[in-house]
Amino acid sequence: MFVIGLTGFMTRRNLIVMFLCTELMFQGVAINLIAFGRYHGGDAMYAGQSFVIFVLVIAAAEASLALGLVVLLFRQKATLDADAWRELKG
Amino acid sequence: MLGNVLTLGSPFVSPPILAQGDYVVSPAAVLVLCVVAGIGTLLLLPSARETSFRAIGGVILIAAGLIFAALVAHSAAATEGQAVYFWIFSAIALIGAVRVVTHPRPVYSALYFVLTVFATAGLFILLWAEFMAAALILIYAGAILITYVFVIMLATQAQTGGNKARYAGLADYDALSREPLIACCVGFALMGVLMYLIFDKASVLPIHQPPTVQTPIESPLNGATQQLGEYLFKNQLVNLELAGLILTVSMVGAIVIARRRVVDNIEVYEPAPETVTGPATPVNDDPHSIPVVGTDNPRQKAYPET
Repeated sequence: MFVIGLTGFMTRRNLIVMFLCTELMFQGVAINLIAFGRYHGGDAMYAGQSFVIFVLVIAAAEASLALGLVVLLFRQKATLDADAWRELKG
Repeated sequence: MLGNVLTLGSPFVSPPILAQGDYVVSPAAVLVLCVVAGIGTLLLLPSARETSFRAIGGVILIAAGLIFAALVAHSAAATEGQAVYFWIFSAIALIGAVRVVTHPRPVYSALYFVLTVFATAGLFILLWAEFMAAALILIYAGAILITYVFVIMLATQAQTGGNKARYAGLADYDALSREPLIACCVGFALMGVLMYLIFDKASVLPIHQPPTVQTPIESPLNGATQQLGEYLFKNQLVNLELAGLILTVSMVGAIVIARRRVVDNIEVYEPAPETVTGPATPVNDDPHSIPVVGTDNPRQKAYPET
């Protein structure tokens, strides 16, 4: 799922869908973390789950900030196209 | 494509059958299937192709997935009762993920993401992480996705669309993908390499013994959620506080970022001009008097401003 999200992030031009793909990458990572935690057993199981809690926290914080930025960018150019900001390319 | 399978494969695809040097699925086959899945996704991404091409891409993708599932199921002789749910949830999650990425309409992408979140929560429950499953649904499907849908509603632009009838209601940036070939090559090359490595080395992993007894953390409470809470507050206290701090900071940041400047709309408060008929204070004839604002002493000496 991480790779699917990565492919989508590189491909889609809609800003909102790009951020949705980053959330998809978070999902893949979360599954991995919990699986690794359970595999190692014992105390590591809760380590994996708490790591996922923190990943969720970061995802929520990043989602709110990203959507605020998307709204601002949309106000500037009235488009959600990522290519509209091509002038930022170095 | 089924990128998360064998990270869960070790505890789940029945351990006793993994002999030394015996592959669950031949890594070369996995690599080939990754390439096929990449081609399928490439065809499925939004582009100016005919509908039939995209449908072919979808069929290729599903075929690659089914072949992979058949290979793994064939090699796993004894299946636990729970393994069926693993396959169901994984299939739903991956199909949802692919549709998130390839659907031309952003609202449908968000809805498919909700489906993916539910399937992931199911996988979490299979892994004895019930609290994480509930937290995932609450936070992701409840809060983040709702925010996404609202922003999509607010930020939709008038659609110009392409010349094809299917894309009539879409904006230009939704109808076309950006460099789909390179993105799919890079993405699925990464996945191919990762899965090759996983399947190649999976046979030498120690056989996982699922913990039959959860080691309690010195507490009469034995539920998984309680133990997770105890672990969090005993071992991860600093991280927990930092997480709260991060949330607060991001909240403040979001408010600051999205604030609209209202300079134009504020009426500047001007007090009504008072009509003064005479000096407000009694006139002081003393030429050395200290000048007071609002009074004019005609006989006052002109002191230089200091």
